[in-house]
Amino acid sequence: MTPPREVAVAIVGGGIVGLCTALELARAGTEVLVLDDAARLGGTTANAGSLHVQMQSRFIRMYPEQVPGLERSLPLYTAAARRWTELERELGTSIELKPSGGLMVAETTESYEFLARKCEREKRLGLRVEMLGRAELARIAPYLGEAVVGAEFCAEEGKLNPLLANQAVRRAVLAEGGAILPETRVEHLAPDPRGGWVLRSASGELRAGRVVLAAGAGTGGLLAPLGLRVPTVAEPLHMNVTEATAPLISHLVQHAERMITLKQLAAGQVVVGGGWPARLHGERQHPTVEASSLIGNLRLASHIVPRLARLRLIRSWAGVNTTVDGQCVLGEVPGRPGLFTAVPGDAGYTLGPLVGRLAAGAVLGRRDLDFDIRPFSPGRFAGAAALA
Amino acid sequence: MTQPSLSWQDAAGDSREIGFRPGQSIAAALTAAGVRELRATRRGLDGEGRGLHCGMGVCQDCLVEVDGEPNTRACVTKARLGMRLRHQDFPGVARLLDGPVPVPDDSPLPAPQVVDLLVLGGGAAGLSAAIAARRCGLDVLVVEERGALGGQYYKQPAPGLDASALDAQQAEGGALAAAAEASGARILRGAELWGAFDLDRLAIFDGTRTRLVAPRAVIVAAGAYERPHVVPGWTLPGVMTTGAAQTLWRSHRVLPGRRVLVAGNGPLNMQVACELAEGGAQVVAVAEAAPHPARRPLAAVALAAADPVLAAKGVRYLAALARRRVPLLHDTVLRAVARAPSGALQATLTGGAAFEADAVLLGYGFLPSHETLRALGAECAFDAARAQFVPLRDDDAMTTVPGLFAVGDCAGLGGAPAAREEGVIAAVAVALRLDREVPVAMLEARTAARLRLARHRRFQDALWALFAAPRAGLSLAEATTVVCRCEEVTKGEIDAALADGAPALGEVKRRTRCGMGRCQGRYCGQLLAEHLAATQGRPLDNLALFAPRAPVKPIAIADIVALDRAP
Repeated sequence: MTPPREVAVAIVGGGIVGLCTALELARAGTEVLVLDDAARLGGTTANAGSLHVQMQSRFIRMYPEQVPGLERSLPLYTAAARRWTELERELGTSIELKPSGGLMVAETTESYEFLARKCEREKRLGLRVEMLGRAELARIAPYLGEAVVGAEFCAEEGKLNPLLANQAVRRAVLAEGGAILPETRVEHLAPDPRGGWVLRSASGELRAGRVVLAAGAGTGGLLAPLGLRVPTVAEPLHMNVTEATAPLISHLVQHAERMITLKQLAAGQVVVGGGWPARLHGERQHPTVEASSLIGNLRLASHIVPRLARLRLIRSWAGVNTTVDGQCVLGEVPGRPGLFTAVPGDAGYTLGPLVGRLAAGAVLGRRDLDFDIRPFSPGRFAGAAALA
Repeated sequence: MTQPSLSWQDAAGDSREIGFRPGQSIAAALTAAGVRELRATRRGLDGEGRGLHCGMGVCQDCLVEVDGEPNTRACVTKARLGMRLRHQDFPGVARLLDGPVPVPDDSPLPAPQVVDLLVLGGGAAGLSAAIAARRCGLDVLVVEERGALGGQYYKQPAPGLDASALDAQQAEGGALAAAAEASGARILRGAELWGAFDLDRLAIFDGTRTRLVAPRAVIVAAGAYERPHVVPGWTLPGVMTTGAAQTLWRSHRVLPGRRVLVAGNGPLNMQVACELAEGGAQVVAVAEAAPHPARRPLAAVALAAADPVLAAKGVRYLAALARRRVPLLHDTVLRAVARAPSGALQATLTGGAAFEADAVLLGYGFLPSHETLRALGAECAFDAARAQFVPLRDDDAMTTVPGLFAVGDCAGLGGAPAAREEGVIAAVAVALRLDREVPVAMLEARTAARLRLARHRRFQDALWALFAAPRAGLSLAEATTVVCRCEEVTKGEIDAALADGAPALGEVKRRTRCGMGRCQGRYCGQLLAEHLAATQGRPLDNLALFAPRAPVKPIAIADIVALDRAP
């Protein structure tokens, strides 16, 4: 397609956040164009489809300073899981969404107690969580190995098929009159003296009345020249997928102390991930898998679910998670009217549709949003004061 | 002596005992008993399941349940006395591991084992390289997936099969394998490289454990596999590659069927037609895509000049086919296969002729197995004349990655004689690179190898000028024809994805699942890349193919995590 020269709203980033933002805006009758550079640092395109609600213990362990932010964000996750259910209904096509619950398993008494304390806090914050002992687990999750002594169960968690979801949302954006410009990397962004913004890419310049940055880990780089330091960090992560097998694992399975997520897709494959590192390789910064992560991840998986050991690994891949400070970066940039950010804090795929809705609401100036997004403002980062 | 037997339970649940010869593969035993369909598929397109197709462990179609273990490749698994085989439903049920469950281990990976030279592949090129490298004093480790050495050209009798060499070609391979055994190279059979993470971090499953290896140099001699010929019905049980049929016969002494149709491009098809006819099959026709050689007299003369002995061999095949009154149809391509009311396969050719057969063999040339090379970063380029991606190499067969060499058909198809010369050249280059003192005899051997290699290449050029024929690509596929065998993605589904915004290769894969299956896109990947090049003008460059990722081939998690921690 010939790129337009001017558009009411330009969205930088065609991942789940950018597409959902575009969908909401297009439905509201706003002219919208999504620019995407799929070849680089794709998060959505490599996502494994976990719906996270309870706090991931690996974040608590790795980033203890982020715990207050994580707790503040918890209501978002519950709402985000609900938003996925609504979205599947709106899309009118199956995205294999299964809110069948999530288990965070413990192997020791200490770790079970850690989960129990987490469970209590989360319950107070409104999550549907409970602790399950060995006997209850044997009943609802007989696939778990002997080593598991108990688990925290979160009823709102689950899984979906991102390959189906991404396509369905993309088609919905197009059906609502939105436009998508693939394989386009926005390299620079500047205020237009005549009002609005100018975006520069290899295919030329585009003027936009308003701009939403939904570029995941690339967001910080676009904002830096404007003087705002949003520390988006690309975290390349490893994923494994096995051959298909008969229904075995019904839940999203995580571990209290170790990095793992485990779930079975509708077609029978088991996807194993959970935050094992990959690396960014070469000039194109292509996420590439590491032997240590592939082996370590599968060793842990077959320890928790012994039946997995006989399954064959079909493929491994690496994708990019974006981390900031444990919270969303969402709202208008202070002192830069018409420029918005839409970056989920963590578990970006789970939060995508909700963050998209909130970002679209911010662009449209709606005051009836379900959440007060002010705490998530990009204004909390260095450089913001000078801009404002 | 009573013949050993195994039991087979078909899709309807009926069981019977099947006899086999010791050494035969499951696929050979079942083929001999007339069993063709081994499993159901997820979508059940074409109304039938799948059976033996590539016959060499690449396409992953001949999956069968063995003693309760689903998804076992029949073509590379030995038949054993008392085995219980079962037609497999999709997707099969994961079994519990016998013995202890792996315990998570947070210790870092063991240090990789250091070796001078790792040779990947025990065919003509790899064995020749290993022998030459030993003569240069190198410490050599050879990894071969199969139980027998020799590769696809020499196709040795299956280990344990009581059979002598069929002909000079098999005897030559036997001698090469014996020389490699005697050379002092360490040879891992039934082993596979499953992870090519870095040149100094290669994960190899040796049949019992996974070991990490850090070679000082690597020679990849991974060979080639048949180029897919995508026509309606090409997934039906009984439709297999010419190479698969040749393996059944040469390695297992089983005919692919009583009546056989051979369709393809190139001399291998005529050779296999002769061999099968000699073995007692009725070859109903050979369909050759190229015109009759008489219409290309210059190429025929060049061929005879380059290698009179090999050229004469070709003439003998033609004469043998004529003597047996096998119709040899030139300028003719297989257009479709369907199930005839009789239960046999009905093959339709361009020009309208149709034949009934029990087995339809497809031999439309080969594609180099370059996935490990690409995973290690070797730059590849598209050779438009031969329609294949080949690694860029210097005169020593070294790729763009220092220390990584590619020899034989994985580097572009040059045939077995050329592969053997390249093995010598690369091995000597490795020794020089590692600053070893190379015996004068080996330097002379290298000079002689270079001279012979030039002649082999002239012969190959003349051969393919003689057999030049248009390639079908996806032009013979209909909307309902399966393109991606593993994920059962049809031409129509691919076209629908392409019509929606001209997506790039990776996006087509994510939208359709084309290339996401067990064969890792080996069959559909290049077809799709060429299709995108033709319809969207995308370059056929290093990024045109699916990114190769671990595992190189599907491997059980238990085998991955069984790490060898020996120093």
